[in-house]
Amino acid sequence: MINYKKINVWYLSSFIISIIVAIPIITVFTSFFETTSNYSAILKNTFLYEYIFNSIFLLIGVLILTFFIGVGCAYVVSFYKFPGVNFFKWALILSFAIPAYIYAYSLTAFFENFGTAFTILKNIFGDGDYNSFIPKFDGILGAIISISFSLFGYVYVLTRASFHYQSQNLIELGKNLGFSKRKSFFKIILPSARPAIVAGLSLVAMETLSDFGSVSFFGLSTLTTGIYNAWISFDDLTLANRLAFYLLIFILGLFVLENFSRKKAQYHSPSKSGYKSKSLVPLKGKKSLLAFSFCFLVFFISFLFPVLQMLYWTIIFPKHLVDLNITELFLNTMLLVFLSCCLLISLALISNYGNRVSKSKFLEYLTTFSVSGYAIPGIILAVAFITFVSWFDNAVVSFFELNSIKSIFIGSILGLIFVYFIRFYSLACNGIKSGYLKINYSIDESSYLLGYSKFKTFSKIHLPYLKNSIFLIGILIAIEIIKELPITLIMRPFNFETFATTAYIFASQDLLEAAAAPSLFLILISSGFILVTSKYIIKD
Amino acid sequence: MSKNFLEINNVTFAASDKNKVSNVSLNIENEGDIICLLGPSGIGKTTILRTIAGLEKIQAGSIVLKNKIISSKDMHIEPEKRNISLSFQDNCLFPHYNVIQNIEFGASRNAKKKKDLSIEEVVKFLHLEHVVNKFPHEISSGEAQRASLARSLLSKPDLLLLDEPLSNIDQSFKEEIQVKLKKILNELKITTIIVTHDSYEAFYLGSKCGIILNSQLRQYDDPYNVYHFPNSVEVVNFLNRGILIPAKVTGENSLENQDLGTIKGNFMKRYPKGSHVQLLLQPEDLEHDDKSNLKLEVVDRKFRGTNFIYTLKTLSNLLIPVFVHSHHIHQHEVDEKFGIKRPINIDHIVCF
Repeated sequence: MINYKKINVWYLSSFIISIIVAIPIITVFTSFFETTSNYSAILKNTFLYEYIFNSIFLLIGVLILTFFIGVGCAYVVSFYKFPGVNFFKWALILSFAIPAYIYAYSLTAFFENFGTAFTILKNIFGDGDYNSFIPKFDGILGAIISISFSLFGYVYVLTRASFHYQSQNLIELGKNLGFSKRKSFFKIILPSARPAIVAGLSLVAMETLSDFGSVSFFGLSTLTTGIYNAWISFDDLTLANRLAFYLLIFILGLFVLENFSRKKAQYHSPSKSGYKSKSLVPLKGKKSLLAFSFCFLVFFISFLFPVLQMLYWTIIFPKHLVDLNITELFLNTMLLVFLSCCLLISLALISNYGNRVSKSKFLEYLTTFSVSGYAIPGIILAVAFITFVSWFDNAVVSFFELNSIKSIFIGSILGLIFVYFIRFYSLACNGIKSGYLKINYSIDESSYLLGYSKFKTFSKIHLPYLKNSIFLIGILIAIEIIKELPITLIMRPFNFETFATTAYIFASQDLLEAAAAPSLFLILISSGFILVTSKYIIKD
Repeated sequence: MSKNFLEINNVTFAASDKNKVSNVSLNIENEGDIICLLGPSGIGKTTILRTIAGLEKIQAGSIVLKNKIISSKDMHIEPEKRNISLSFQDNCLFPHYNVIQNIEFGASRNAKKKKDLSIEEVVKFLHLEHVVNKFPHEISSGEAQRASLARSLLSKPDLLLLDEPLSNIDQSFKEEIQVKLKKILNELKITTIIVTHDSYEAFYLGSKCGIILNSQLRQYDDPYNVYHFPNSVEVVNFLNRGILIPAKVTGENSLENQDLGTIKGNFMKRYPKGSHVQLLLQPEDLEHDDKSNLKLEVVDRKFRGTNFIYTLKTLSNLLIPVFVHSHHIHQHEVDEKFGIKRPINIDHIVCF
């Protein structure tokens, strides 16, 4: 299987990186060879079906909602011209800045008894029993709404890119065949954007199934909280890993199903010559108002609403803002962002180049396998890492009578960065890979034939070409790390806080108004990063 | 010690099982020689260049450049260490550098070698002045191909490999570039292998031509011999200039065809009297003569600028091509009769 002639420094580097990233997946898989506690039997007879039912129900709800919001917005801004269309094109991606758990805080804060909605009504209409008819978004409904409005951006961005690159020829072909606008949409436009929509929904599905912050806030029992309970409450790591494995299989099943249904159909124009840019249809009157209202409503609900809610609380409870050590939280967050970006991008570049140079199928499969760990919830990654370090410390380090390495990797910045690396490696690796896919292999060959070594080809040809991709991936990693919660909570050093952990700690103590200020800063910093990249995200 | 500049010894060039050229042996004797490889699309010509450049490995045989083995079963010098330059058929410019920066990549290689050719000269001769500051996606495929050629030329390689170098270039520039390219390659003594499907280009540029057919190098000879003395029916059919007609050998210098009568000339190979052969008849072998009593029916006429090519039908339904100078006053329409001068004399008779 391994062609030994292909082994060189690049190959070995790529191999080692993939193995490290694959450790949690292997750990999850090995749980089947270990015994579980009694909790396993209890769980099977009690809550397991509730976990599975809630997870599936949550997943279906989120997928339906994100599909309609994401595809709807992408369609309207890609095919029509109306007031504000250029603003909405990038403004709609600002929802990426709102983590689902912060959305959940806002939703609860606004609609709860005597919450913000109550205050607004009271200020306008005077005293009254408004609580009885203000809707309550908690439980599974709250989780579906919070996660959907926080994640629909994935579907929106990918579908919009696909619509953007859809050739006018394709649409004109539909007209030529006598298709109505409705028929063109369902027979041509939507099917040809299918891979992008599915890719977006897949990301949404993975994020939903591994969501911890919002489901735990709403007290919803899902597989993720089940994993957390198995580990924290019952100290049964094996069972936690098994549940994670089911989760992984479930997600992989979705991928396989989609691949089978697609068969060999091609969804993109194979050549540049077939592409003709689209002319946008100008909307007037009611239609224009309808398009504007739809986009504004989505923008308002997904971004302005949580921002305004957090801002409102920050203003009316200034004490919490004064108590907050903003500089320290900011520096801590940025330190994690900087270190993670450097590590992730460097290693993703090395791994991708190793794959490219060695042209090894084995290495390619190994890399694909290792990046599937993206579907593993952050909690499991952190736990698997702690388990692995403990085992290594007991089995290997002790054997050689060396000093314990636990304190180096557990409860330290190094350990935290390491788990971030495993969690977000697929983001970096796939991002660099998609950049590399645009570089024809004959470019490398041209470089070799001009006397450039493999390293020089990498540094002089590839790196300058990939600089935009690297920049974009760096920003995406930064946004993810700023928002990341469970890994940071578990792995961070003592007394080391970020905006995310501070917000969570206050929220978990039912001090939502105190969580507002760190949440607001988190949103502002993420939004800043998103604005920097908006032109790339919109384009690609 | 080999006295040849390049030696290819019994090498099978294979990109895949389908796309391979087996047991190729050929030499380039002197530094500065230009050879051309001709063959139909997909036969493996590009694979030969890629293998010589070191982008593909070989399982048997050897390739020796300047007395040094660069490829064999046990030895493979990496492409970047061969000082061989390959100009790809498709645009292989670095997309994030503009045209002049791409060309400078070539010039920076072997920068210590004596400069015989400046970037300005190459840019001018390849008509690239107006695109030097543009990026590859902003120029046409012909301009990209010329830029790629410039980059390769300036890299001063020991061996230059050109894969269909002029295939995307406008007809208006093509001949001029062919002339200048040949002049530069000769002046700088750059040993070159050119792959092309255009036989005229190959005959003009190459001091030798290799014909690749049916996964084999069928003929490797100078262009005149390839054209006038093809060594197999396959080569005749590939070059597609003449036709094979049945004839009977009637003497040391003559044969007989039932439609054309006696044909005289020098046999390139002896055949016993009375034997039946296939005679190669090329368009320039027959002469037009309105007064001749050998009249054949015109079934097609193609105007090619300098000449007409008439296709004539014989009584036994053979279709024979004949060249006539385009200034010839008397043009024949389709279905008219066309006189052939008799007796027919062919300088060198090629039979199979």
